[in-house]
This record gives sequence, C-alpha cells and structure tokens, in this order.
Amino acid sequence: MTDILTLVFRTFTSQTDGSEELTGPPTSPATCSALLVGDAGLSRSVLLLAAVTAASEVGVRVVFFTQTRIQSLPPCLQKRKILFSYPRTMEELLQQVARLHEPTNTSPAPPSLIVVDGLEGFLCERGAGLAGFHPGEQSVQAAHLSALLCDSAAFLTRVLRSRSPGADPCRVVASFQSPGDGGRAGGEASAADPTLEVLDRYFRVRCTLDRAGSYEAAAGGLHEVWDIYLSGTGMADASDTT
Amino acid sequence: MRSFLPAVAEQLFRDIQKTHQETSQIPDDLLIALKFVFGSCALQALDLVDHHSVTCLSSPSGRKAFQVIGGSGRLYTCFASCHYCPCPAFAYSVLRRNDGLLETASVPAPSIEETRLPGGCCSDQCEKRRAVTDRGDSPRARHSP
Repeated sequence: MTDILTLVFRTFTSQTDGSEELTGPPTSPATCSALLVGDAGLSRSVLLLAAVTAASEVGVRVVFFTQTRIQSLPPCLQKRKILFSYPRTMEELLQQVARLHEPTNTSPAPPSLIVVDGLEGFLCERGAGLAGFHPGEQSVQAAHLSALLCDSAAFLTRVLRSRSPGADPCRVVASFQSPGDGGRAGGEASAADPTLEVLDRYFRVRCTLDRAGSYEAAAGGLHEVWDIYLSGTGMADASDTT
Repeated sequence: MRSFLPAVAEQLFRDIQKTHQETSQIPDDLLIALKFVFGSCALQALDLVDHHSVTCLSSPSGRKAFQVIGGSGRLYTCFASCHYCPCPAFAYSVLRRNDGLLETASVPAPSIEETRLPGGCCSDQCEKRRAVTDRGDSPRARHSP
C-alpha cells in the first residue's frame, strides 16, 4: 500500500526547495495495509486519490467503502475499475467485506485495493447502540473489522497470484480519526487512543497527515503545506528486507 | 525492534506438520517449543483439537475460516490469515491488556488443527477468566489436571 501512497504523494504534491524526494519501501506483505490518521477531510481526499491512482496508473480494480456518498466523479472514473459501496452500518460493512471472495466480486478480476473511508464512523455507530460510548466495545469491533479486511486481502492475494504468479498482493487502506484529533501535531495525536492501538495491530503502516506546516506555507504564499509521516511495524520490516 | 516471533511460530507449525506427516508422531521437543512460543494457551489449544472442537469451513470460492467451540459451548469464528478471536479472553488479554504473546487458545487451535496434531486440554478458559475478572479477582494461573 505504501507504494501507491508514495505514487500519490509524488504525483499530486509540489516539490519545494530542500524537500527530499519522496521514496517509499517496495511492496511487501509488511506494507500491504496502511492506516491514514489525521485530518478527516484530507484523509478522504488521499483515499480517493489512492483509488484513482491504483485504477488508472497501476491498472487494478478497487473497492471503495464509505458512508458518505460521492457526489460526482469525472467521467473516466465513473465506471469499470472503481466500485463504490456505501454501507450505512458496521454490520453492512462487515457483510460486504466478508463477501469480497464471492465470484460476483472476483470476476473478471478480483480487487487489488480495498479502501475504507472513515472507520470511526462505523465504529462510533456501533458503540452508540450500547447505551453510550464503550471504548472496550469499540476496540473489539475495530479488531473484528480490521482482521476481516486483512483476511479478505490475504485471500484475494491468493486469487490474484493463482491467475498471475507475479501479481502484487491485494492492498488495504483505511482512514481513522480519533476523537479530538483536531489540530494536534502528528506525533502526539491519538497517542492514547485504545482503538488506534488495536488498529495498529492489523494495519502495519500508519500514514499520519499533519497540518503543521500551514503557517510557513501562508508566509511563503503557498497553499497549505502538510507533513506526511510513514511509521509502524511494516516500515521497519520492509527496511529489514531491503 | 522487529519481532521475529511470528516467523518463528510459522516455522514451528511447518516443522510439526512435516514431522507428523512423516511419522504420525509429534516429538516432545516440538511440543515444548510450541508451549514456549505460545505459553499456556498452547495446551488449551491442543485440548480443543483433541476434543474435535475446531472445524474448518470452506466456501466454494476456496476461502476458509475456522469455527471453534469453547468450553461453554459457544461458537467462535476465527480467520485463517489473521489473529483474531471474538472470545472474551481475546478482548481482555490481547486487545485490552496486550498480554499473551500472540493470542488466546482459540487462535492457535486452528493452526494446530491444520497440522493434524493429536491434542488434549482445558476447555473453558475464556469463560472462567471472564468470570474471575467480573468478580474483581485477579486472574490466576490455571493448571491442567
């Protein structure tokens, strides 16, 4: 997943003087799942760009799950390789992800990228039904959904490679905003969120989007500047193998 | 620091499977290694297998999942490729307390079942642990008879 994210950031960001050229680890099992944290609006945009990039540049099928309907799409994206699905509840999302292995979803080709926009929306909806917010319940639901996503991706990877031995694995990317994540610096944001700790178990790479550079950007007459951090056990494992 | 334990566990399962296929026996050193890697839940997982409490479900597409019957008779569905169990012990020990090297008894049980191990152990660890914690007692080490 980091390969697609790196391609997105390289394609859609401007390189300013002194900035390092964007590079990321090669695709490996360690980097196939990524979690975007930070500003919800930017995360959604990054997810859409990742879906577009995967479908157009990499040429793979994408399944995009979100509670918020996409209002309009460019004609080139309105069909074929990106399937948008709008589950309203956690149960609907679980069912739809669990059915990704079925022939209707794997023909003519199985998806190679699974995107889930706004995990917090599905988890909060589930927790609210239990007489208020239950952090423990939310963590369990987060684990269930994350594990199902990873298991689905693992199965789809086997299908992809059975049809083409050198195929890249199926990737998973999701976005999550902790309560009160608001404008804190990327390093400290959501540090104590138990749900995020659970998500980190299954999403090997965390991509933190931080608005820390906006004032410098304004002073420089630029549009907003965002810092992007890639971290997690997947990054360490990928470094060990290169 | 990178953890090598998952790779160690995977290699251990491969060794057990290979040995069992060749000799229909599991030597003590591999069982001891299993206990060393997974801790006490290895014995409980072996017991689940011994009691035929683990069922591998396959769909026409080829996707698999495992259903595990806990000691209380409750059914838990575990994934083939990911560490997760809906049992209370997983939620408490693994998710909340971050205890346990990898998972609870029901999660290594499917891996052991795949290697066709003979088994034998404690069956309601999940429910008893929850009962203990609900009473406010501290969890105690359990000893198999």
